[in-house]
Amino acid sequence: MGRSSKDKRDIYYRLAKEEGWRARSAFKLLQLDEEFNLFKGVRRAVDLCAAPGSWSQVLSRKLRASNESCEEVKIVAVDLQAMAPLPGVTQIQGDITKVSTAQEIIRHFEGQAADLVVCDGAPDVTGLHDVDEYIQAQLLLAALNITTHVLKPGGNFVAKIFRGKDVTLLYSQLKIFFSMVTCAKPRSSRNSSIEAFVVCQNYSPPDGYIPNMSNPLLDHSYDVDFNQLEGPNRIIVPFLACGDLSAFDSDRTYPLQLDSNKEYKYLPPTQPPIQPPYQQACHLRKNNLLAKEDLPSALLGLGALNLGTEQETDASTRETH
Amino acid sequence: MCLLYSALLIGPNWETSVLVGGTVFNQLVLWRPGGSKGDSQSQVERRLLGHSGVIFSLCYLQSARWLASASDDRSVRVWNVGVLGADGGCGVESPTCLRVFYGHQARVFCVRLSPGCVFSAGEDGACLLWEWEGNGRVGQTLKGHRSGGIRSLAVSRGGGWVATGGADGGIRAWRVLEGTRLVDQSKEADCQIDLGFSGRGCPKVVRSLGGRDAVLVCTDQGEVLLHQDESWQTVWNGGPEFQSYCVMDVAPVQFQDASLWVCAVGNLNSGVQVFALHHPNSGVLLQAGQGKVHALQWVQGDRLCLLASGAEGLVYRWTLEVIEDKTGLGLRLEKQKSFLLPTCAKRWLTAAVRLPRGNGSLWVCGDRRGSLLLYREGELCEESEVDRENREGGSKEEQGVWEDENRWPESTVNDIAPISPVNTLFGVHGKQGVTSVCEHQGLFYSTGRDGCVRVLTVDRNTLKVRRVHRASKGMEWLEKVMFLGSEISDMYEVIERRKQDGEEEERSITDSGLEIEGVGQKKRDTFNEEAELKKTIGINLEDSGSERFAEARFVMVGFHSIQFVLWDPLTRDKLFSVTCGGGHRSWAYIFPSHTQALPSSHSLREGMLIFIQKGAVMSSRSLTSKATHVRGHTLKDGLHGRGLSCICHLGSVSRGGLSSEEWEVLVTGGEDTTVSVLAIEPGQGTVKVLAVLADHISNVRTLAAVQREPRQKGGSNSRTNTSSLSTFLFSAGGRAELQCYQLLIGWNEQVNWPVCQVTQVAGHRLDEQWERRRNRHKTVKMDPETRYMSMAVVHESIEEILVTLACSDGAVRLFTVRVESRKVELVWENFYHQRCVLSVASYSFEDPQGKQHVLLFSGATDGAVALWDLTTVLDSKSMDSWHGPSAPCFSLPVHQSGVNALVISNEVGPMDKDIITVASGGDDGQLSLMKIRMQLRQEVVFPELLSHWTVPLAHSAPLTALGALDCATLVSTSPDQRVCVWRVCHDGLQNKATVFSHTADAAGLWVWHKKGSGLQSRDYVVVCGQGLQVLELTNGKDPERNEKE
Repeated sequence: MGRSSKDKRDIYYRLAKEEGWRARSAFKLLQLDEEFNLFKGVRRAVDLCAAPGSWSQVLSRKLRASNESCEEVKIVAVDLQAMAPLPGVTQIQGDITKVSTAQEIIRHFEGQAADLVVCDGAPDVTGLHDVDEYIQAQLLLAALNITTHVLKPGGNFVAKIFRGKDVTLLYSQLKIFFSMVTCAKPRSSRNSSIEAFVVCQNYSPPDGYIPNMSNPLLDHSYDVDFNQLEGPNRIIVPFLACGDLSAFDSDRTYPLQLDSNKEYKYLPPTQPPIQPPYQQACHLRKNNLLAKEDLPSALLGLGALNLGTEQETDASTRETH
Repeated sequence: MCLLYSALLIGPNWETSVLVGGTVFNQLVLWRPGGSKGDSQSQVERRLLGHSGVIFSLCYLQSARWLASASDDRSVRVWNVGVLGADGGCGVESPTCLRVFYGHQARVFCVRLSPGCVFSAGEDGACLLWEWEGNGRVGQTLKGHRSGGIRSLAVSRGGGWVATGGADGGIRAWRVLEGTRLVDQSKEADCQIDLGFSGRGCPKVVRSLGGRDAVLVCTDQGEVLLHQDESWQTVWNGGPEFQSYCVMDVAPVQFQDASLWVCAVGNLNSGVQVFALHHPNSGVLLQAGQGKVHALQWVQGDRLCLLASGAEGLVYRWTLEVIEDKTGLGLRLEKQKSFLLPTCAKRWLTAAVRLPRGNGSLWVCGDRRGSLLLYREGELCEESEVDRENREGGSKEEQGVWEDENRWPESTVNDIAPISPVNTLFGVHGKQGVTSVCEHQGLFYSTGRDGCVRVLTVDRNTLKVRRVHRASKGMEWLEKVMFLGSEISDMYEVIERRKQDGEEEERSITDSGLEIEGVGQKKRDTFNEEAELKKTIGINLEDSGSERFAEARFVMVGFHSIQFVLWDPLTRDKLFSVTCGGGHRSWAYIFPSHTQALPSSHSLREGMLIFIQKGAVMSSRSLTSKATHVRGHTLKDGLHGRGLSCICHLGSVSRGGLSSEEWEVLVTGGEDTTVSVLAIEPGQGTVKVLAVLADHISNVRTLAAVQREPRQKGGSNSRTNTSSLSTFLFSAGGRAELQCYQLLIGWNEQVNWPVCQVTQVAGHRLDEQWERRRNRHKTVKMDPETRYMSMAVVHESIEEILVTLACSDGAVRLFTVRVESRKVELVWENFYHQRCVLSVASYSFEDPQGKQHVLLFSGATDGAVALWDLTTVLDSKSMDSWHGPSAPCFSLPVHQSGVNALVISNEVGPMDKDIITVASGGDDGQLSLMKIRMQLRQEVVFPELLSHWTVPLAHSAPLTALGALDCATLVSTSPDQRVCVWRVCHDGLQNKATVFSHTADAAGLWVWHKKGSGLQSRDYVVVCGQGLQVLELTNGKDPERNEKE
């Protein structure tokens, strides 16, 4: 299939490389902003689970462009792992489930709360469907939790959500804290993916709510008919597809030659993937050192045993939480 | 607070228990949740660092004080933690990592411990047994799930039984016997034995004479040697003529109630020596034209026939007869007409099989160029043109008989007109050639070095490829197929297991011979029963001849890089594997001694491979799990290993007679690139996989079917009281690939369940031309990688079927599939949508004048639904002259984003015949319903939108699939895992019922009504996604879970 096949399969992947975004997801935030005007008047923004940093890139470019007083704009990017530096973005390498991280964010804003919190974090997809969906929900709630520590009343929160079996339950949680919750699907997010974004506007926590990091948020009683509740109990979160219809279609496969005036050129990814968990295993496989049943045992000694002694040099961090 | 991927609670009670968590931060954390007093949270007491991925599974073995962890980093680690729980608390102060096991090719999902043994299983579909002793080698590899890996693992207390649960939904149980676990090194070395070849020169060809100890070898010194009773003895010496090059083949022949072996050796100068092995001096020297004898093969038939492939594509043939003369035994060889191979480089024969037909024989041959050839002999009417031309040249057919020492008179060689093939499939097996052809139950099977097995039928003078089976990835060199005995034996084995209770299970003994003695009378009965069944099947197979329904079970034999492998394509299991150095060598596989006519897949593991390596003759058993060690049983068939994207109901088959047993036949297509034909018995909830079609190179996204009346052939009365189905099935998906099959599903009375015969009618890919380009690796392919998203049959007739496809490059395409010529052609494409087209649905109706109209609806990612009038395609005589519509006659934005599903139904009332109902489901979760009146003015359709109703949040996730039971009842599903039933009322849509479905990622749905008398009529819904589930719509229209998968 070759290296250019991904360019054909995914037009936004190709565009992201052309425009210098670290990931195609940059377009999703841009299209969400087109619809919801998210960046208007924002001076302090937080990007949770920021790596590889495409949303921070968007925040940095858009907030500075729209704001005359560039100096006042402060962007904090939080991730567990280190991220290549971005101009105008303060990075915190920390855990979003820790109060200390929230405190650090506020410190960067000189004691003030954030106007906007965004989170594009997703778990490493394991292929175990229910696990992925559950972890994503947990991640969203962790992001919501830290948001209640740092967001100013009236502020906005945008986060990735998987539209799975428990999505209504998540909506109900979000509606406790925000007066307006919308499920939005940017055109750059593929139709075939269950991914969508919750745009939560006007942060208004319940009276007397005290932020607490160990809130067991996903702990509702919940039944089959929850999605179809009638009357005032029904949780209505409108769906909105956003982005211009004339924009590129993320599901369409395009020929490599998009424009007859411009010849196609393969561009390498802006940000090559970071150390994957299976690096060591791949190294072993490449050198034929993985243990196999039908290998002579002499070889096996190398594959399985010696590794046991050289433990633990590679306690590397993961892509996301 | 931190995300956990796995956890394990150890201890006799809550107060003293220890909780082990596998965190998202790649650590194992240990703490005592019940240990703390009051409100204070208990603190983590131990942290085990080392993994570089999240922890998926944990296991603790008290007796060894081991804690094992399996991770995303593809490793398994075993930690020395001490006693956990109770008085032990969190175990030793600073736990150490004892072992790191790297052996999996992908994520490790599960780990289990038993004394001296670590079991792990994961995404690569393998369960590895790690032996603690001997530095932790992989003792056994247990494989056998379709794809998608192993998700769960259980090990019996003593470690004797292992059960694996696959992502394919299958369950397999394995007997792993104790005692054999530690194969000591010396024994392993014995697996490969040098037979100590002691003759002159280098052995070139090796053949087995059936028994374990009888091996025949031909050397480059022109000598034939026999290995028997551990010694080598020269049988025949060909002298200088046979030195430096020789080919050999050997075959058994019956003579006066005894079996004797005849051997043929060919040389560089067209000489072929034929002799009986035990009377080498009774030999005959034959002349195969001029020049090198490329190949020799004995072919069984009413008389044994020898084929010698000589120069210029001529294959010389002789039939053999054993006679008794004054001196003892003699051989009589009768020259037959030669076969002529098609002109090409490397023009020689590599495989041949013969089947008696009428007053002659039918020959299917394969050559080094990869062509399959059909020859007919002995039937006068069946001569090809070439044949006739040769005759015009004045040559005269002549046959001669030569006996004993007589030499073939050279003058007559050219006089015999060779037979040309009546049909040729040129290069069908690729440039590396055909390796074998054989016949089994009326079907032909060919293998080649393209990694494919082709199943062929002969229809008069035409060879037809019915199906292509590909071997596993990397197994490009296939040598032959071996047929397996009925799967009944497998089934009975499982029943046996079930009949034994726990105690007995543990006692059952390695050897199958001993096993019979070890268990009581009950078991012997099943054995007899099994034998009976086998017998009846054996008989049945013989009479049914070419009318066989299903293909036989077979094992692929070939080379996988440097290994000789027996591979079971159904269980995807490597049965036998010997490191021999790879292809280009002579080999012989010797069946285990106790094997009956058709072996079981278990017994094949115990065979022996004889091969030539570096001038030595080697004998080797398989190093992979031996049958005596491991016995795998399928407790439940697996379906697709990954998500199912589409489903389609074909109909039902029944046993007939008084039995009410009826099986619903469903077809599913999945991300694992396969299509499965399933039979489901809703009453019992039994699922049987009838066929797996693995021709797609990318995922299968959409299916369509056209029913045909089953063929009624005179004489086959046996099946008249059972129902059968004949269907043309279309599947399409990634890489713009479309496949068409003919399925024949019927009832097999012997095995007592439905069987399916598959014929591959045609395959097509949009970018096929690109694949054929020579230097494609040097250029960048500019075309989009189009995916087919949805498909609908527009029109069907006897000769051709028209299908439309929704394409990801923004086009709607129309193809014609010609059944007889097996051709697929693109007739129309339109890029109106300019966006990925997600769904298509067709509708045809007859106007009052009796004219047929064809309509097509298409929906794209922008939420628009377009209506196309394709009626004129029916009028055009030739497709070439037809220019489809350049624009739709109607287009309407219906959804905010993608239109995932379109369903069309029409009103039942006679007054509203021209009103159709178009229901659509979108990515926005909306369900929409339009009523459109189809007005006709001068035979042109003018649609009029009568009403348009929507349910904005019908589902809280994308609505992915929709079905209509009738024009008033719709069923929808979504990844929110709800199945909703909607009623079309006069003023809109009403939710009638919602049920939670266990099928995650729901992607496909089918609704059908099952006719029956009164209460027996039923309505079914089947949902597919991660697995599939069948629901029954009960009278109150409340879906009720009937059975799940």
